[in-house]
Amino acid sequence: MSKKFAVLLDDKRFGAVKGSGLEDKIDYLFGGALKAFIMDISEDEAKKIMNSFDTARVDSRGFITDTPIAFNRVLFEEIAKAKSLGDEVIGAVLGREKEIKEMAAKESDYLPAPEL
Amino acid sequence: MSMRMSTPLPHGGRLVERVVTDPVLAKKLAKGCPVYDIKPTVNEKGVPVRNVYREIMSICYGFFSPVEGPMGSAELERVLKERRLLNDWIFPFPLLFDLSQEDYKKLGVGPGDRLLLRLKGKPFAILDISEVFVVDDREAMAHRIFGTPEANPEVVKEPFDKKHPGWVIYKCHNPVMLAGKYTIINPPTFKPPFDRFWLPLRQSRAEYAKRGWRTVINHQTRNVPHVGHEFLMKNAAYTGDIEPCNGIQVNAIIGVKRRGDYPDEAILEGHEAVNKGGYIKPERHIVTFTLWDMRYGNPLESMLHGIVRQNMGCTHHMFGRDHAAVGEYYDMYATQILWDKGIPSFGFPKSVCEVPYGLQIRPQNMAEFWYCPKCNEIAYSGSCGHSKEKQKFSGSFIRGMVAEGIYPPGVIFRPEVYEIVVKWWKKFNYPFCNETYVKRVEEELEINLPDLDV
Repeated sequence: MSKKFAVLLDDKRFGAVKGSGLEDKIDYLFGGALKAFIMDISEDEAKKIMNSFDTARVDSRGFITDTPIAFNRVLFEEIAKAKSLGDEVIGAVLGREKEIKEMAAKESDYLPAPEL
Repeated sequence: MSMRMSTPLPHGGRLVERVVTDPVLAKKLAKGCPVYDIKPTVNEKGVPVRNVYREIMSICYGFFSPVEGPMGSAELERVLKERRLLNDWIFPFPLLFDLSQEDYKKLGVGPGDRLLLRLKGKPFAILDISEVFVVDDREAMAHRIFGTPEANPEVVKEPFDKKHPGWVIYKCHNPVMLAGKYTIINPPTFKPPFDRFWLPLRQSRAEYAKRGWRTVINHQTRNVPHVGHEFLMKNAAYTGDIEPCNGIQVNAIIGVKRRGDYPDEAILEGHEAVNKGGYIKPERHIVTFTLWDMRYGNPLESMLHGIVRQNMGCTHHMFGRDHAAVGEYYDMYATQILWDKGIPSFGFPKSVCEVPYGLQIRPQNMAEFWYCPKCNEIAYSGSCGHSKEKQKFSGSFIRGMVAEGIYPPGVIFRPEVYEIVVKWWKKFNYPFCNETYVKRVEEELEINLPDLDV
């Protein structure tokens, strides 16, 4: 069964996809308070993600969550590069698995806190 | 029959209090005793998963009344088989004082002896030993504790394994068990911020009375509250007797938690921020905690929560889906099933409120809250007819947003609550529990012990 993945868009990410044609694909959540791309992930690609990243799980909404932050960041980079939300984006992300895992190892002990 | 409810009796009929505050008496009790320095229970990687000091605190300050100490072999067997103590009162989990064979041989103690337990190098409690026994197969014990799909088909979906933190706690117990009664002889003081939220049972009941709370509903938490939790609290509290519950108590479980849960300090202060921000006014809301290394035992954990909160004086307890759960080991409604019709294979052919020697606290089984873009509000799933449009408060989704450093909108996290998350994130360099945090907690613990020369 296919799954979903939410790529959250803050102002910086929103700026990066402006004019790419992806604006129409933005979902406005919680009364418009949150912007996100909601990607459909095929069963095969979902399995690959779950197998590659042991923290990943599917939540009660059918969304893949708990992937490393590095995964989410790379996923957005590939979306911005390809100007697409298609399966090829997930393929490109999985092609960077080693790099993501290296970054994730560092992130397991330290994440910079945001300035409020 | 009165239409008004009253504060329930403690589970077992009386509050257990086993704390000596007189240092002269304490010294007398501990004089000449063999000494054992409490060690954490660690997993196969050497990471702490439990410290028995939390159980000693919760027993001696009465949270686990009527239990007075670590269980003996007959009581362990009865809890595993029927979820009852030897005095018939229901109880979900074994509480054990475990030692390695090596430590046991060094101590050379037996039934009738008194052992002085030291914590952080200082006298803490005594254990009057009534029995010594060995559990050779702790893995088998862990399976019996949590259940199996074969033995408990009503609610257990998957066999428990090393990914389940509660199962790991019991599997990693040492083999030698000392049974008896604990007495704290050197009462610790809590460090900030825990000191603001410590409300042992007599004080808890006195505090409710002082506030004029006849009915109090408890919210169990191991989470920083998002707005979905806040709505659960507010709406569950509409139950009561002739009026909604007078008080809402948040009782956080403080102890070792799984990776990805929030730090304990953020959980407590995050809930406090809900009342400081006026989202639930402080006159109706109180934040407290219980020391316990969570077993994540869903229905069994909910039974322990019911016992603790009844002992604290609560009249009601709210239970949601996947209560105190991790993974998909249990049916997501296992807790609500236990409190509604019972789980026969765990020894309860009826609700735990309806069996002999059961609980008096009333369950308030709740469905979930979601954001509905059509209703344009946070809606109750039992009322909202727009399930297709719903946007759920998924804990993992929110954790992901936090970890990515995206400022959560007020409809997800109140700004005051998020500020608390960031405050402790800066302190620990990480927003959630990780190995570094767990090791740090074990090293420092939540308490300080005064000097006591015995």
